[in-house]
Amino acid sequence: MVEDINLKEIQRKVYMTFFQDGLWDIFLGLFILGWGLSILTEAVYLPAVFFTGIYFTIWGIKKWLTYPRIGYVRFSATSRRKITGRFVILGTVVLLLGVIAGVLWGIGARPQWLADYFPLIFNGMLAAIVCLVAYWARVNRFYLHAALIFLGAVFHLWLGIRWEFGFIGAGSIIVLIGVGILIIFLRKYPRMVEEAHIEDRQ
Amino acid sequence: MRTDNSGGEVQESITKIDKLIHEPSRYMLMAYLYVVEVADFLFLIRQTGMTWGNLSAHLSKLEAAGYVVIEKEFLGKKPHTTVRLTDEGRNAFEEYRGNMKRVLDNLPAK
Repeated sequence: MVEDINLKEIQRKVYMTFFQDGLWDIFLGLFILGWGLSILTEAVYLPAVFFTGIYFTIWGIKKWLTYPRIGYVRFSATSRRKITGRFVILGTVVLLLGVIAGVLWGIGARPQWLADYFPLIFNGMLAAIVCLVAYWARVNRFYLHAALIFLGAVFHLWLGIRWEFGFIGAGSIIVLIGVGILIIFLRKYPRMVEEAHIEDRQ
Repeated sequence: MRTDNSGGEVQESITKIDKLIHEPSRYMLMAYLYVVEVADFLFLIRQTGMTWGNLSAHLSKLEAAGYVVIEKEFLGKKPHTTVRLTDEGRNAFEEYRGNMKRVLDNLPAK
C-alpha cells in the first residue's frame, strides 16, 4: 500500500507541474473576460475566438517560457487520452452554454424564472466546470476562480451590477492571480541549459 | 507454522529484490519515469533535486541495465536529453514493488 500511495503522490506532483506557471489561470481569466466582452458587445462568437486563440497561444508560450525552466514531460498515452477526453467534454459544454445563452438572449424566448435566474444558473454551471478542473487537477486555487465567477452573478442579482461586468471583473482578477503566479514561477525557476553531462557520464 | 512460512517468503522476496532499483535515488527516478511516458533531464532534476552529475551517473546505470533509454537531440544549438522507461524497466520496477510489498506484508506483527 505504501508504494501505491507514493506512486499516486508522484503522479499528482507531475500533474501539478502543468499548472505551476499560472498560464492556465491566465487562460481561464482571459476566457471569462472574453465572455464578459461578448455580452457587452453582443458578439456571440467572441468566447469561441478567445478560447481557441488563447489556447494555442498558451501552448506556444509554455514551450518558450515553461519548458526551459522546469523541463518537459509527456504523460503516458492512457493519461493523455483521459485528460484530453475530459477537456474536450468540458470545452464542448462551455461552448454549448455560450450558444444556448446567445440563442436565448437573441430570440427572447425564455420563461420568466429562467430570465430572472439565468445569470445565476449560467455562472453556477461555469463555476461547477471550473470546480471540476480544480478537483481533477487538484489545484485548489481554481476553487477560488470558480467562486469569483459565481460571485459575478450574485453581485448582478442582488447588487444590481451589470452581468457582463461580473465576468469582466472575475476574469480580470483571475488573470491578475495568474500573472502573479507566473512572476513567482519565473523568479523561482530561472532558465537552465543542459550541461555537458551527457559526455561526462560516458 | 505461519511464521515459518512467512519467514521463508520474506527471505525469498528479499533475495529477489533488485539492488539496482533499491538505491533511493534510482528508485525515485524509476518511479517518476514509471508514471510518465517520457521526461527530459531538466524535468528530472527539478523534481528530484539531484545535480546534473548525479542524475547522469544514476541514469547511466539504469541504461546499462536496459531499464531506460536515453535519447539525445539538439533543439537549435542546445542539447536536449530525454529519458524513457523501457518495457524491461517497467517490468523490473513492478517486480521490485511486488517483492518489497511481500517483504513488508509478511513481516511479523509487533
